[in-house]
Amino acid sequence: MNQQVLQAIVASIDNRESVALISVTEADGAFAGNVGHHAALWLDATRAPVGDLALGELTEQIYTDARRALDDRKHRRLDYTTTEGSLKIFVEVQAQPPHLIIVGAGHIAVPLAAVAKLNDFEVTVLDDRPLYANVARFPSADRVIAGPFRAELSQLRGGKPTFDNHTYVVLVTRGHQYDIDSLLEVLDDPLAYIGMIGSQRRIRAVFELLEKDQGIPAAKFDRIYAPIGIDIGARTPAEIAICIMAEMINVMRKGPALSMSEQIRRERIARRERAQEKTL
Amino acid sequence: MSTTFYHHLQNLLDQGMTVAVATITDVKGSVPREVGAKMIVHPYGKHVGTIGGGCGEADVIRAGLDVIQDGEPRNVHVDLTEEINMNSLGVCGGIMNVFVEQWHAADEAA
Repeated sequence: MNQQVLQAIVASIDNRESVALISVTEADGAFAGNVGHHAALWLDATRAPVGDLALGELTEQIYTDARRALDDRKHRRLDYTTTEGSLKIFVEVQAQPPHLIIVGAGHIAVPLAAVAKLNDFEVTVLDDRPLYANVARFPSADRVIAGPFRAELSQLRGGKPTFDNHTYVVLVTRGHQYDIDSLLEVLDDPLAYIGMIGSQRRIRAVFELLEKDQGIPAAKFDRIYAPIGIDIGARTPAEIAICIMAEMINVMRKGPALSMSEQIRRERIARRERAQEKTL
Repeated sequence: MSTTFYHHLQNLLDQGMTVAVATITDVKGSVPREVGAKMIVHPYGKHVGTIGGGCGEADVIRAGLDVIQDGEPRNVHVDLTEEINMNSLGVCGGIMNVFVEQWHAADEAA
C-alpha cells in the first residue's frame, strides 16, 4: 500500500502539482496499530486519496485538516483525541514549486536563473533577442523563450486569465521601456512577487510618469519591489542576483528583511495620505 | 532537495532495498533544520539528505538501522540544549522530534 502512496507522490512531483503525504506518527488505544500508515492527498476534494489511514470516521476530518495545510503550503502536525484513543499525524506538503519568470536575458539573468534553480524554483527566461535568450546561455533554466515581451508573457499564462500567486516576475531587461511594457502586462495579476530593476531616482520618475501619463493609480505600485532586492551592498551581476534572490526568499518565507523599495513605497503612501487629508 | 527525495526513495525500493525514512515532525527552539526535513537511512551507510548532521543525526541513523531490522516505526527525541562550551559539538539550543519508519520494496504477494 505504501508503494502506491510513494508512486502517487513521485508522479505528482513530476507533474508539478501540490500533494500532501499524510503519516500517522504516534498513536495509542484503538489506533495503536496505525502508526506508519500513509495516504497521499490532493487539494481537489473530488480526487480520491491514495492509501489508507484505516482510521474510520476520523479519516474525513484528517483529510479536511490536511487540505488546509496543502492550501497554506505548509507542513502541519495534527493531534486528535477521541474516546477510543489519541493520535498524532504529520502532514508533509510537497508544494508545487514557485515559478520565476526572468524578463530580460542580460548579465543579471544568468546568475539569477542559476541561483533560483538552486532554490528549487521553476525558471523561465524571456527576451526578444535570440542571441541572449538561448539554452546555451541558460543551461539550468526550465524554459528559455525568445520573442516579444508582452505577447510571450501573455502566452505564459497558459490559457488562464492571470498568473497564479506562486509566480514571481523579475524585470531586468536592457531598457526601461521594456521593463515598463512588461510591468503593465502583469500589473493586475495576483503574483507572489514583481520586482523591477532601477535606481531609486529612476524608479520614482517612472512611477510618477505612469501615474500622470497613463492614469494608473499610485496604489498599484505599492506591491512592486523597485528598486529591486535587499541591500547587501551588491555590485557585480552575480551579487545583484543574490540580492534579488534574497528578496524573493524573504517574500516567500515572510522573513523580516527590509527591501530597498521600502523607502520610496513609504514616501508614496505618505504622499497619498497627505493628499487625502487635503481633500477632506 | 524535496523534489528529488522521493525519486531517491523510489529508486532504492526499486533496487529491492529496505531503508528507513526520518522526518523532522516537530521542533522547539533553535535547531539545524526545519520541520519536514527528511533523510533516508541506508543499511550500508549511503544515506540521502540530512536532518541536521552531528550527534543528533547520529542518534537518528542508529534508530534508522534498528527500524530497518525490526520494521517498528518510532520517534526519536533529539535534544540539542546541552550547555554551550568549547567541548560541545553541534549545540543549537533546541529540541526536535524525528519520526523514523521503514520503507521496503513491494511484497511478492502484493
